[in-house]
Amino acid sequence: MLEGFATIIVKELKELIRDPKILVGMIVLPLIIFPVLGLVLGYAVESAQEQAQRATLLVVNNDGGNWSQTFIDYVNRTMNVAVISDKNPKQVVSQNLLSDYNSTQFVEIPVGFSQNMTQHTSGNPTITALVNVYGVFQGGGILSNIGSTGFISAVNSFNRAVAPDVVYTTQSTVIKGEIQQGVAPTTLSGLLISQSIALPTTLMIMLTYAMQIAATSVAMEKEEKTLETLLTMPVDRFAILMGKLSSTIIVAGVASIAVLFGYNYMLGSITLGIPTAGSVDLVALGLVPSALGYALLGISLFITLLSALALAVIMSAFSENVRGAQALVGYLYPLIYVPALALIYLDINTLPLALKAILFAIPYSQPIIASKSVVLGDYTTVIIGIIYVAAFTLVIMYVASRLFATEKILTAKLRFKRRKSKKA
Amino acid sequence: MTLAVKAKSVVKQFGNIRALDELSFLIKHGEIYGLIGPNGAGKTTTLRIICTLLLPTSGSIRVFGLDPVTQAKEVRKIISYLPEEAGAYPNLSGKEYLEFMAKFNTKNQNELRKSITEAAKISGLNERLRDKAKTYSKGMKRRLLVARALMTRPRLAVLDEPASGLDVLHAYHVREIIKTYVKEHDVTVLLSSHNMLEVDYLCDRVALLDKGKIVVEGKPDELKQTYKSENLEEVFAKVVGYA
Repeated sequence: MLEGFATIIVKELKELIRDPKILVGMIVLPLIIFPVLGLVLGYAVESAQEQAQRATLLVVNNDGGNWSQTFIDYVNRTMNVAVISDKNPKQVVSQNLLSDYNSTQFVEIPVGFSQNMTQHTSGNPTITALVNVYGVFQGGGILSNIGSTGFISAVNSFNRAVAPDVVYTTQSTVIKGEIQQGVAPTTLSGLLISQSIALPTTLMIMLTYAMQIAATSVAMEKEEKTLETLLTMPVDRFAILMGKLSSTIIVAGVASIAVLFGYNYMLGSITLGIPTAGSVDLVALGLVPSALGYALLGISLFITLLSALALAVIMSAFSENVRGAQALVGYLYPLIYVPALALIYLDINTLPLALKAILFAIPYSQPIIASKSVVLGDYTTVIIGIIYVAAFTLVIMYVASRLFATEKILTAKLRFKRRKSKKA
Repeated sequence: MTLAVKAKSVVKQFGNIRALDELSFLIKHGEIYGLIGPNGAGKTTTLRIICTLLLPTSGSIRVFGLDPVTQAKEVRKIISYLPEEAGAYPNLSGKEYLEFMAKFNTKNQNELRKSITEAAKISGLNERLRDKAKTYSKGMKRRLLVARALMTRPRLAVLDEPASGLDVLHAYHVREIIKTYVKEHDVTVLLSSHNMLEVDYLCDRVALLDKGKIVVEGKPDELKQTYKSENLEEVFAKVVGYA
């Protein structure tokens, strides 16, 4: 054994364990984030499954034969089925029949279904029957299609019971009220998974980094002992705060633009990267944000960053040095990580109201919600989010300005010192 | 007689701790006034209240007739504060730091240049002013900060331990700056120090602080005479009952 090794390792462990930054970053945060995330995802998956079971499958029976009725009865054993007839898919969409039946997907059994079934079961296996499946695109996360696979399972089960491969399905998607023939909702979701992951991940990194910079700017003044001098200069305290925030706002603005460029390039790459035959063009499908969408997304990103920076400045005012400020800012990370990771998997629109309210209330969720909403052209949600974060930011800025205007900017440190000395 | 500072029954409470206890004193215009006392006596708290950093819990303070509580902005225009452990921005050069600070006091380019020239003279840093502050030794940094505090010719310079932690030569330089520059430019100085030699050498009058109160006040020579002591250290020990 190396001489002195044990002594060194004991000392190192003591230093590491007693460092709040290590405690928070490596032990406390994972202990909080992952269980919370597990609870959120578990609850969301459970409720999505329940919702899928409760949801109605609208069947448009344009065939009217015996086999179509048998097929409907079979599906009805596992799903809530509502049946209508004599409607073409465009009429179903344009007449809002889906919302009338509280459904997000419908199936058309076309004319000739029963005849084809009869021929197939009478010894002509080359003839198959077709059903057309239409799913409504809802944006969403990785788990957002959890309910849409139910019907395909029912068809597979029907085939196993009647004859192998007798019923085939075509899949199409209803996007913004338009039917996109041959674009399967699952294919689309697969393509948009990268979108669901990329922005939240980038945002997590960007917010964490920006908050560290902002916290450091005040903490550095304390650590280098320049703040006291600065506060006695003939300059408005609010000007000091705004000067500090403005420099980080500029960084935040540049960061927002960089994110938007990267995000736009990524969406373009998805379209361009897929071979032409059978490809899905997100631009042609209208699943890339419009200019207004990008502008709103940019505002949402910027204002969220601003609010995070202001909060970081406040937190850092309570620390004595850079290391302390970084540790304090670390306490805010669950508010960034939990909604970002949750929204990678979930579509906020399909969540139960309580969970939806909680995620919406966390300001750092807003750009992620906005990124999904602008794709769907739901600008109202984005604007409400921007107004909410703006109000939150104003409150934070007011608190920060009060903090700078009073002696608390210095005495917060004094209190910590006193507590330590009492303990000693 | 113009009063630079008038403190009357000033109390400062931090939670359960009474940092200043009915503190009263007067500083005349143009004098160098020293606050001396042990750690925790209330010296820095007093300076911070005068410099608008802290609010008194009760009592009143006037700086050339201005109230640091209600007229903080006006007070900041006529004072200059050098905290005990003050630093400079590590990535700014000495000259950039001086310019940054001087710009708070004047927008006039001529005055700005004059202040920087003045600061260069006071600090004696010459060419080193072009280097970043992080390359300075502790003594050089302190000289830069003293120069910053005096370059705008404040009416009241508040210096907390101006030569603290400096070697003999740097401490000598700093003391000489204070002694000569202040008298030449009609600046009133309030300083705090643990160094009795420094106080004895620099101050026209001193106040001995203990537990937030002034226990004795007067000219250094008179105090030594009254308490039959060789130096101020002995005076202090006698006054607070250590000797």
